[in-house]
Amino acid sequence: MAVKKSIGEINDKIRKGQAVVFTAEEVSAMSREMTPAEVAGKVDVVTTATFGPMCSSGMFINVGHSNPPIRMERATLNGVPVFTGIAAVDLYIGATENHPENPSYGGAHLIEALIEGKDLELIAHAKGTDCYPRRDIHTTINRENINEMMMFNPRNAYQNYPAAVNTSNRIKYTYMGSLLPKLGNANYSTSGELSPLLNDPELRTIGMGTRIFLGGATGYVGWYGTQFKTDSELNEFGIPVSNAATLSVIGDARQMSTSFIKAAYYEKYGVSMFVGIGIPIPVLDEEMASRVMIRNDQITTRILDYGHPDHPELGRVNYDQLVSGEIVLNGKNIRTSSMSSIYKAREIADILKKQVSKGSFLLSEPVEMFPAGKGLNSLEVR
Amino acid sequence: MVLRFPAETVNEPITYILIKEYDVQVNILNADITHGKEGNLLIEMSGLKESVDKALVYLEKKKVEISPVIKTILFSKELCIHCGACSSVCFPGALTMDSTSRKLKFTPDLCVACELCIKACPLQLFELNFGIN
Repeated sequence: MAVKKSIGEINDKIRKGQAVVFTAEEVSAMSREMTPAEVAGKVDVVTTATFGPMCSSGMFINVGHSNPPIRMERATLNGVPVFTGIAAVDLYIGATENHPENPSYGGAHLIEALIEGKDLELIAHAKGTDCYPRRDIHTTINRENINEMMMFNPRNAYQNYPAAVNTSNRIKYTYMGSLLPKLGNANYSTSGELSPLLNDPELRTIGMGTRIFLGGATGYVGWYGTQFKTDSELNEFGIPVSNAATLSVIGDARQMSTSFIKAAYYEKYGVSMFVGIGIPIPVLDEEMASRVMIRNDQITTRILDYGHPDHPELGRVNYDQLVSGEIVLNGKNIRTSSMSSIYKAREIADILKKQVSKGSFLLSEPVEMFPAGKGLNSLEVR
Repeated sequence: MVLRFPAETVNEPITYILIKEYDVQVNILNADITHGKEGNLLIEMSGLKESVDKALVYLEKKKVEISPVIKTILFSKELCIHCGACSSVCFPGALTMDSTSRKLKFTPDLCVACELCIKACPLQLFELNFGIN
């Protein structure tokens, strides 16, 4: 008899502390000895995770009204510009915004500092209006004296991402790290078989409203992410072989931890932010079991050459090869390294496993599913 | 190299004379000099061999102690998130990922201080350290 479980039934088991929970890596290892039907019968929830640099991230803050009040039109925090083009004292700290004189310091550092409770210097200017007469303000803010700290990241948790190499004669400093000349190394991102969207490639269980682990707190999938793409080429295991689906996520940054939100700087590229995301996936049936059993050797990605401006594809590789520390390309052995931390992703998957097992993290049914067959536009210069 | 100035020469414009009289390029990397006390100057000196040799003779005459320098890499291990971005640029194999734990391992004995890890680390946890050999 085929196994069928609803999210409600799985939640009942979680509430009773009876749910059987494994991490995606543990289930991938099971795939060598068990069938999907057996895994579906045994496992209720699989925890997935990633901890990588995710540029499209940031935080809305409301700093409260001064007396007399100001409608901030230009503002900086510790010298880093923040977005003011919303209501009077709502600000958006973009993670990749740079300090104009110190390119290795930026929005992600502000976010980390706010989470840690440090003071930030706020300077803001305005033209002054009848209702907001103040023109300038210079003060300090921290997590205790502002109102909301809402992390809102428009694009996180890429479903897959191409590996990067460089065939040119010069070192390339990129968001995929330092790429040595003449195929000196290959860098990849995503946590492979542990990665959330690679364990639910058809997005059957992850959709709008899905409850997730975000930066050490509980967060939610708010929408599909920007550059969301579901018409990518699939390999024989149903995995998109390039960047595909993405998530837009939201959560209370006050509950987050700098263990799982970390500012980063990539040489000659700029500031980015490591974001820790974990998603529990319900094993609803045999089909879902076969998805979460995916192994690194079944996940393929493209290898792109960042030595050329248009990043041509040079070949394909699987994550088993990438994670081994060396791949072969054009007859050459090339050292590999990851941009995301598998060590930290494991830590998140383990935390989530414990939370679900002890009943403190319930699964949520998506309020709405993501669009299918969505392609991407590119920007034409007219 | 590190130039150690005896207390009596600290007040003399030795770097100026090196450049002006001996036509060598002096790049000061670190300086720790106080009036009336012994001082250290970490410099790179370049120029024609003949000029550099004469400059060294001048420094010896002035009783300036010259020590060659070794570069080492300092690593703030406790802040590492183990992404491994540094490991693929480390050609001597001093920075490697443990295949089981997925943690970064630094073996300073294998390090040649090429400095590639300094730019590769997104958390900027590596720094160059100059020590006297």
